[in-house]
Amino acid sequence: MNAEARSLIFLLACAGLVPAVVVLILHLPKFGAHALPYGDLINNSAPRERHVANAVSAVNFDYRAIDTLGEEFLLLGAVTGTVVLLRSKRGERADAPAGQVEGRPLRPRSDAVSGVTRLLAPVTALFGVNVALHGMTTPGGGFQGGVIIASAMVMVFLGEGYRSWRKSAPSVAFDATEGAGAALYALCGCASLLVGLPFLTNLLPLGTLRDVFSGGLMLIENAGVTLAVAGGFTVLFGEFLEETRVDCRSDDS
Amino acid sequence: MALLLLLAAAAGAAVVLTRSPPRQVFAMAANGLILAVLFEILQAPDVALAEIVIGAVALPLMFLVILASSRMDRAPRRPDTER
Amino acid sequence: MNALPWAVSAWLLAIGLYGMVTSRHFIHLIGCLSVVQAATYVLLLAAGFKWDAIAPIFYSFAPGTPAVDPVVQALVLTDIVVGATVTALLLALALELHKRRGTLDADDLRPLTRERKG
Repeated sequence: MNAEARSLIFLLACAGLVPAVVVLILHLPKFGAHALPYGDLINNSAPRERHVANAVSAVNFDYRAIDTLGEEFLLLGAVTGTVVLLRSKRGERADAPAGQVEGRPLRPRSDAVSGVTRLLAPVTALFGVNVALHGMTTPGGGFQGGVIIASAMVMVFLGEGYRSWRKSAPSVAFDATEGAGAALYALCGCASLLVGLPFLTNLLPLGTLRDVFSGGLMLIENAGVTLAVAGGFTVLFGEFLEETRVDCRSDDS
Repeated sequence: MALLLLLAAAAGAAVVLTRSPPRQVFAMAANGLILAVLFEILQAPDVALAEIVIGAVALPLMFLVILASSRMDRAPRRPDTER
Repeated sequence: MNALPWAVSAWLLAIGLYGMVTSRHFIHLIGCLSVVQAATYVLLLAAGFKWDAIAPIFYSFAPGTPAVDPVVQALVLTDIVVGATVTALLLALALELHKRRGTLDADDLRPLTRERKG
């Protein structure tokens, strides 16, 4: 069907649904003024029972840890799909010359960019590790820290150029990091099974509230998530950047 | 709070109504930042951190790289219909 | 103000879907998908909000202070990260489509069977 038919059907559907949505919005509970029983239960019990100050991390890694396990493998699956899709056509080489868009000159990298990224990339990576490590006491955790570490890798690419970046950060290492993170999370759950407790029970000593090393098994799960997210996003960026190189294989191969 | 919600609605509309993909990337980055501030006002600092890093760094980067890849000179391929 | 977040969420969903339906470029369509995802984030976080409550981090406050709901925040957190990865997969699919057919315009890409008949 063409574009006009699609727009017409969409507008008809909207015209039918808008009165229903308006009635629904007027009957929903008032914003900010309704009871939150499950949330209050977790807020009152997480610091006392799990010795963790960040209730969101407690939910992610303890109360609903199995959802985070599913999310880890979702991440792994999506990254694997992207890699298979892009590498099957292109192969695994990492030394092709840069591609060029018509009419735009290839400018050399400026010294300012190199200098600034050489200063900032290690600081950013360290900040990412800091955010990931303090996941139990301050806002942050594995997800945010992992993506910050991956963006530090991108800064290295900006400052050093594509070939040096691929040589210093080989794709095999980050593939392995991502897999290791997801496997570490799954093994944490299996460790509980070995002792006879249900899957993903928190069986390490819980530590004291507001300490960096509190939470028991949550710390190891946090580390697994950090590795998996950092490795996954770096692999994704590497695959996408490899697509901007010229394809040197001929159509016959 | 009400101002930020309306600003978020306007930013979403701006992302959709910017039809040219390279310009839409900037609209998406602005949308990510406004949403991050909204999440912080809604007392969700964890979520605001994640939204800043992903909405303003990771997603615009991926979009820009794919746009650059799709505009490069590649070997001309015959479309499947002409075989 | 009592119903503004729900209305904003519905608006973002509607405008995102409108963008996806009337899009002429697949990359633009994937950007509109991110607007639809933002609608769900706003809805969930507004559902867990309480006036005059702190964030659910008890580092500077004593446990027991009224705080907002941490469960929806955990949901939205994983949602944001996974949404970014799925968007990456969609972008890779769009790139492969461009490599095969040379165009990213939805109206120019008809199914192959229809072209072989003519």
